[in-house]
Amino acid sequence: MSSPLRLGAYLLVGILALFELGVVWLMLHPDVPPEYRAYFIDKTTTCLNQPVAGTYSLGTTIPFTPEGRDLAKPIRVCGWEGPVGDGNHAVGTSARLRFVYPEPARALTLKLRMVAVQRDDHPTQRVQVVVNGETVDTLTVARDPPQDFSVDLPHSLVTAASGRIDLELRFPDAVQMGPTDPDNRRRSIKLLSAALIPA
Amino acid sequence: MSDAVALRPSRSLPLGAVLILIPLALAIAGLAIRYAAYSTVAQDASLAKFAEGMCQWDCAWYIKLSETGYDPFPIPTMINAGNWAFFPLYPILVAVVRTLTGLETIVAATGLSIVFCIASARVAWPLLGKGLRAYTLFSAYLLAGPFSIWFTTFYTEVLFLFLTICVFVALQKRQFLLAGLFAALLSATRIVGVFIVFAILIEIWRAHRGAGGTWRDFVPAVLRRPDLLLALFVAPLGLFGYMAYLHFHIGDALAFSHVQRAWSRPTGNPAVFVWNALTSFPKEGWVPTPSQQLAVATLAGYALAIALLVRRQYAMGVYALICLTLPLFAGMASMLRFTAALAPIPLMLTRLLATYRWLFAVSLIVLLAAGYLATIGWLTGYLSLV
Repeated sequence: MSSPLRLGAYLLVGILALFELGVVWLMLHPDVPPEYRAYFIDKTTTCLNQPVAGTYSLGTTIPFTPEGRDLAKPIRVCGWEGPVGDGNHAVGTSARLRFVYPEPARALTLKLRMVAVQRDDHPTQRVQVVVNGETVDTLTVARDPPQDFSVDLPHSLVTAASGRIDLELRFPDAVQMGPTDPDNRRRSIKLLSAALIPA
Repeated sequence: MSDAVALRPSRSLPLGAVLILIPLALAIAGLAIRYAAYSTVAQDASLAKFAEGMCQWDCAWYIKLSETGYDPFPIPTMINAGNWAFFPLYPILVAVVRTLTGLETIVAATGLSIVFCIASARVAWPLLGKGLRAYTLFSAYLLAGPFSIWFTTFYTEVLFLFLTICVFVALQKRQFLLAGLFAALLSATRIVGVFIVFAILIEIWRAHRGAGGTWRDFVPAVLRRPDLLLALFVAPLGLFGYMAYLHFHIGDALAFSHVQRAWSRPTGNPAVFVWNALTSFPKEGWVPTPSQQLAVATLAGYALAIALLVRRQYAMGVYALICLTLPLFAGMASMLRFTAALAPIPLMLTRLLATYRWLFAVSLIVLLAAGYLATIGWLTGYLSLV
């Protein structure tokens, strides 16, 4: 190999090395939205927020069945799988719904129909109800048959919501079904229906 | 009498023509076999629907990727799984062929895949000991065997296998820079392709030892050879290029890895995964479960990788061991596909099966019959083929 060619080859090696080091630097400094970082990188949540519209009319009961798929789709933010049979399985340690409604409201009651996962070692599942970032109740859901729950939302919270309720259900007792299942496959409850009823 | 001479169909037919005719004939046979299986399963068994019907599972992801490119974040379809896990080179090549020919994506991909299969067989000739029996079996394996369901549709496996063979042929000829360039393309095809840099390093070491070099003077000797340095630094360029693209596209150079979370892949000890799969006995009957089949395929892959090491084909053996082990950290999913498309494995297998004439004949028949059965399994959603 002639000297200029050798020099050119060394130069090319240097450029490649710099490029590859640069990419390593980029790799170590991701520039992503907080929800991406939380779900994919830090793994601090199992529920990756999706920008659903939350289109909803107060008083409507949303069935989480195959027939209710179109109604449920705009309010399902994350953490749901299905519909399967009569409902949607929650997967992971939390799941979210969004209700964006045009009607004015001062008092609302959240109605949920749920059933706990069938596991002998977990007869019940606790469900923490968090509305717009504020914990409002903790429910205890048993196995079959499905149960109905009503949670009165605080007036101050509903007034401040301005027509948008972001509901998070947290599942502190979510069960690892298989020995190698990751946290975003944990099972807790199945949601059959949800509604926000004006007082 | 050499194997090549013994099996040559006609004295007047040049070897070069034979080496094209064998995979061509098997390509036609493979199409006939898969179509025969397809026509027994599909409701609309028209030829027009054949390519589309053979496109199952990840194939649909590749078609969308080839047509619309990589997902932004948030993903417009509002699912967690972006298509960043799928490496870009093959979808780009298919897009180029589609644009040039005006064909449908799946038809362009099917045609290109078959061309790559034929090219893979032809390029692999020196790695098969220039034996026509092994060559015929290897061609059948790619074009008409059970795994042709992946090699001849729209999966990256065929390009991955082709480029791997190109790297090893270049290494056999001590053309390290050329090997590095093929490796760069390989690392843009599948993530594990980047590890072929170790195979290049092993062959550089062997060449160094062959020239009387020692451990002590290895690094200085490599540093004195800019072509060798270039081969080593250019090899991962495909991966680094894709990572740079991902950073500027969605802000995460490791998105191809991070997105695995959306598929809920487990992580754990490969040995535990293999053992759990192997002991996952059927609840009734004697047919091994899909998990057991995946475990057997994986263990067969390891056995063949070790056979490569025993035969002192260290570069291939080490590369195969790396490529078999790394995916196992995420469980057994797709291990049959990963093993079958790992070029050193079928190269070793077909050479072994070509040892005796009777074994060659039996293997060829079994391959063709398995091609038919696997296509039916593929079309009916048999889980171990995913």
